Amino acid sequence: MAADSPSSVRKVVVHLRATGDAPILKQAKFKIPGTDKFAKVIDFLCRQLHRETLFVYVNSAFSPNPDELVIDLYNNFGFDGKLVVNYACSMAWG
Amino acid sequence: MDILSWDGTLSSGDFRLAACAFMQKWKSVMSAFPPWSWVPCPKQPWGASASHDVEGYLSLENIILRSIEEEHDEISCPQKEETSCSEKEELIDIATLVQSNCSKVPYYDLHIIYSASYRVPVLFFRAYYSDGEPLGFNAIEKDLPAHSAKALLDSKWTFITQEEHPYLNRPWFKLHPCGTSEWMKLLFHVDVSVAKNGVTIELYLLSWLSVVGQVVGLRIPLEMLNQP
Repeated sequence: MAADSPSSVRKVVVHLRATGDAPILKQAKFKIPGTDKFAKVIDFLCRQLHRETLFVYVNSAFSPNPDELVIDLYNNFGFDGKLVVNYACSMAWG
Repeated sequence: MDILSWDGTLSSGDFRLAACAFMQKWKSVMSAFPPWSWVPCPKQPWGASASHDVEGYLSLENIILRSIEEEHDEISCPQKEETSCSEKEELIDIATLVQSNCSKVPYYDLHIIYSASYRVPVLFFRAYYSDGEPLGFNAIEKDLPAHSAKALLDSKWTFITQEEHPYLNRPWFKLHPCGTSEWMKLLFHVDVSVAKNGVTIELYLLSWLSVVGQVVGLRIPLEMLNQP
């Protein structure tokens, strides 16, 4: 688990997962420094998908605050050495 | 509850259960923060009693949601001249100057009220300064955490409206519930344990608040999800 090593330059493997009818990324896995904020992941996703906003969430039915550190999210929600981040586009109701 | 057929909503009875579980969890993890409380309400004498089956709502009042750093990051002193940014005060006390230099810090009242028509919780809120002066829509919009509030509101996952509080007969702001069941379904569909055991009602409000809280800047500490 990532927690064991000194976290100064530790990177977290993030796996981006499309849900609903969101477009699937060609390159869906990447590494990000654990000390980065979740906002960076959100921004990256939005840029990749050319969207202003996305609904972004992790397992355990939780949508993390953008200020959370990626390493904290990994420690709480990561498994199999990665953090899975799900995303959906705007809903199409009404 | 079979996750595949679940529509993202919950019954009024389940809301009451979820509220109790949520209050307990909050209290045990957020000991430094004021607790949520349940405000019981008498059944309304008119109209469909279904609207008020729940007979109460969750309340968290008088809280500050912005850190002092955030306050100072904001645009330097608003155009209002009634603030205490007068030259006189600068001479008096450095501490006072820091406090009153930009903003008065807004206090928030948050109510989580069950909507019988949408069958989901709804966040009602209002904000006011320490002198009691309420924040209007524009001031609140400015106060909301820029990044996350904008993302959620622009995407129309929810939006802010002003409406009469169902119990208090005063106008409050609310986050519209029309999209709630949709994004609650999304949230729970990827939960591994949910797929095995079905939707856990106890988690419902926590998940819900993780989204809704971002609009007003209420952060759910990750430790809350680790509680048994």
